[in-house]
Amino acid sequence: MMKAGPSPEEIRRHNLGTLLRFVHLRGPSSRALLAEAMGLNRSTIMALTSDLTAAGLVREELPRGPGRRAGRPSLVVRPESTRVYVLAFDLGVDRLAVARVGLGGTILDRREAGRTRGEFDAAETVAALAGAARALMRKAGRDAVCVGSAMAFPGTVRRSDDVIRFAPNLDMRKAERGPAAEGAAGRSLEEGVALGDALSRRLGLGLPVAVCNDANLGALAEHERGIGIGCDDLIYLHGDVGFGGGIVVGGRLLGGADGYGGEIGHMVVNPGGRLCGCGSRGCLEAEVGERTLLALSGRTESSDLLGRDAIRAVVDAADRGDVQARDALHRVGDWLGRGVANLVNIFNPGMVVFGGTLRDIYLGSAAQVRSALATNALNAPRENLKLRTAELGDDATLVGAAEFAFADVLADPVEVLARLRSPEETPV
Amino acid sequence: MHFATPGRANKAGTLSDHDRFSLSGVASRWEPPGMPVTPLLDLRGIDKSFGPVKVLHDVAFAAYPGEVTALVGDNGAGKTTLVNCIGGVYPWDSGTYLFRGEPVRLGSPREANDLGIDIVHQDLALCENLSIVQNMFLGRERRRGLAVDDAEMEELATTTLAGLSVRTVTSVRAPVGSLSGGQRQTVAIARAVLWDSRVIVLDEPAAALGVAQTQQVLELVRRLADKGLAVVLISHNMNDVFAVSDRIAVLYLGRMVAQVRTADVTHAQVVELITSGRSGELGLAG
Repeated sequence: MMKAGPSPEEIRRHNLGTLLRFVHLRGPSSRALLAEAMGLNRSTIMALTSDLTAAGLVREELPRGPGRRAGRPSLVVRPESTRVYVLAFDLGVDRLAVARVGLGGTILDRREAGRTRGEFDAAETVAALAGAARALMRKAGRDAVCVGSAMAFPGTVRRSDDVIRFAPNLDMRKAERGPAAEGAAGRSLEEGVALGDALSRRLGLGLPVAVCNDANLGALAEHERGIGIGCDDLIYLHGDVGFGGGIVVGGRLLGGADGYGGEIGHMVVNPGGRLCGCGSRGCLEAEVGERTLLALSGRTESSDLLGRDAIRAVVDAADRGDVQARDALHRVGDWLGRGVANLVNIFNPGMVVFGGTLRDIYLGSAAQVRSALATNALNAPRENLKLRTAELGDDATLVGAAEFAFADVLADPVEVLARLRSPEETPV
Repeated sequence: MHFATPGRANKAGTLSDHDRFSLSGVASRWEPPGMPVTPLLDLRGIDKSFGPVKVLHDVAFAAYPGEVTALVGDNGAGKTTLVNCIGGVYPWDSGTYLFRGEPVRLGSPREANDLGIDIVHQDLALCENLSIVQNMFLGRERRRGLAVDDAEMEELATTTLAGLSVRTVTSVRAPVGSLSGGQRQTVAIARAVLWDSRVIVLDEPAAALGVAQTQQVLELVRRLADKGLAVVLISHNMNDVFAVSDRIAVLYLGRMVAQVRTADVTHAQVVELITSGRSGELGLAG
């Protein structure tokens, strides 16, 4: 696969993408800083930024505030946050969220709705998400352009065609049943559910809606915008009703052969333990998940509180001296620590990030988690391990979906934008 | 004009597989692992008596930049006395106090502040009738000519709070009396950070806070250390200690019985050290 070397056109495209990615992730940067960071000279940077400016992706302006340095101030390159945006969808077990996220990662506008647990109706969900997205798009300016869209989904998603294969915590029988649901969203779960296609058709933007596992997107978000900036080997654990994970190795998300990688929740830690939604016994999800914590602490699922609030209530009660809640939290923390110990032995991450409901569980049972880790993980791989909580909080998956949606435009900015601005050429 | 020059472009081209690497390498928050770090604060053989009562016996204590060192011990073990020695409130009777490897002698809390050592006391020492900005700059107001420079102080206070990822405080002009316990704790910590501190000592920051607020304060403590400060955390709550600390120092009846890495010990061992001064091979010799 040796090539004679990249052509000037390829180099330019690569440089444009790298520059845009830098401004997108780091925020407004002076030309001097860009030149230094990219190892290009200033006239090349000028040529690149004028291309991006012409495409409407960035704008240049004089630095704000008093200039304290001698000489002519270097122009600052800012991403056009309000004019170039993506749509990010987050389909949680208890909540639906849609956001319009501008280049540079600012959430410009958002809509959220609660979701009642129970049967998952693909058509209804797609309609609700599309409605919210359209409302967001109406509020965008006339010259604003949507450059991509992606959805975080709590289940396993095939990478090649974004089809959902398995979602133990959403009751997907109806989605399987067939023609009642709209179009491709109504195939059997054996073939998978193409939620992204249905949503894309409903939105009518001519843009595909990428679907990706929520915890994988959370890992991406924390790596690029959260606590994990600068840490290229991290594991993100995301707790909702279920328990997912995203593994970043060498700065890249570990997907596996078909994109199902990182299902840490279904790592068996206790053979013969509790029955898991996936059909196996003793999965980490079964030992640490919301249902187990609520059951152990004597709170039944029928109570008014669900999800995050219910878990907070248990941690709160434990802190106030509720013995049963405290014991439940300790047991759960012990299993969590064993799970993390396995991961540390296998992947030797620099950081493990606890997000979603696991943030509360970790902070409430850190002594047990770390004790189990100290007892069960090998000495060398845990030496420099950092345990952290998600900096983006509940928005980690949403932010991750936005980052995923930006991937295309960051890879080839000018080409993608030219295609979007001349709709007659848009492939269907 | 539109093409990268070939020589430069090849350089960029070789980066193509690692563009994430090259980007994230620019302002990495993390130090390379495994580097030997000299402690910022290094106390050796500190003795302290109040009249006939000997409170600290030959205490050694170190705090490292970028780490949270938890100081634990039973009531009366000498935690507060040790902290007051660190902060220049009490003079110590004998022993060496090294700051960044240099021996120092502290005569007053102000001298400790000048070195970059700040203590956030349990009672926070905030004025309820003053605003957040006024509290943060109390006694050290910025001036422009003869007038107090409110605009610059507000900007500095806002950036400091934003730098700590504090989102709960809506306006820096709000009087401190209107804030919740967790928010007050945040302001007290931000006040210490504002002055370029290198060592911050937090005395029971999570006492008397609710669970959600405690969690926020713990995450704040962690962020301080991740910014490269040396943080000393006094707490009675083992869970909080394990949630944020990198090292645990255990005082038992005025003696430092162990200073260990949090990753190497279990909850049970630390509790044993606190209550009996030894646990297996750790702690006081038989």
